[in-house]
Amino acid sequence: MAESERVTAIVDNDTAVANVTRMAEKEGYLAEVEEKEDGIFLHLSRAGRLPRTEVVGFASAQGAEGPLVVLIPSDGLGRGDDELGRILLRSFLHTLHEVEPLPGTIVFLNAGVKLTADDSLVLEDLQALEGRGVEILACGTCLGHFGLKERIAVGQVSNMYSIAETLLGAGKVVGL
Amino acid sequence: MTDGEHSVFLFPSTSGAIRAEKLTLQSGFKVKLIPVPRHLSSDCGLCLRCNSANVGAIRSLLETSSVEFEGISSV
Repeated sequence: MAESERVTAIVDNDTAVANVTRMAEKEGYLAEVEEKEDGIFLHLSRAGRLPRTEVVGFASAQGAEGPLVVLIPSDGLGRGDDELGRILLRSFLHTLHEVEPLPGTIVFLNAGVKLTADDSLVLEDLQALEGRGVEILACGTCLGHFGLKERIAVGQVSNMYSIAETLLGAGKVVGL
Repeated sequence: MTDGEHSVFLFPSTSGAIRAEKLTLQSGFKVKLIPVPRHLSSDCGLCLRCNSANVGAIRSLLETSSVEFEGISSV
């Protein structure tokens, strides 16, 4: 895509539309959506736009090369007692409101995606963080695995390309 | 739980805080286990936040259920 002025991508679901659109906008393309019988056509074109600036909170930490990213790969914090681990993780996410620096992005993987579902006990915390500009990415494969793809209530359904780019492009990754 | 004033129940142990959360949620109270605010101190690092209007009812529930707590503070 880097050398083309116009590209058309054909996808078959809303998650793909969101992922491709997000990637295109990052690269400075405009995305027009056209729904047809044989698929959803995304017409991507250069529009003299600069690549989209990453959305980060006003107090977000910027490392030498990118934002602070928090990686949450499970629904608990630490090992030893699962129930305690879940409470500690809830406690950690609640505390993010009150401490500095605010992360630029929080990535949820594996059972961590349960925290982004509509019955999550940290939904209010995550929605508040998102409202302050924190990007929340939930692994789409993981949501599908747990049957939660239709129940995500905060953040964006993401794929491994976006997640890998986010982690590799971070100034600092805090893995829980 | 964004409206109204909040209070927190402090506990001598984590297991007590966890038990208190289960009991209050089962009774329909809107509560949340949160870290003990920095300006308070407790033997346990977790406390149970609730709407201040429900402090009396939750206190009775915990006492009836023999869940020990160290104190109650407004936050």
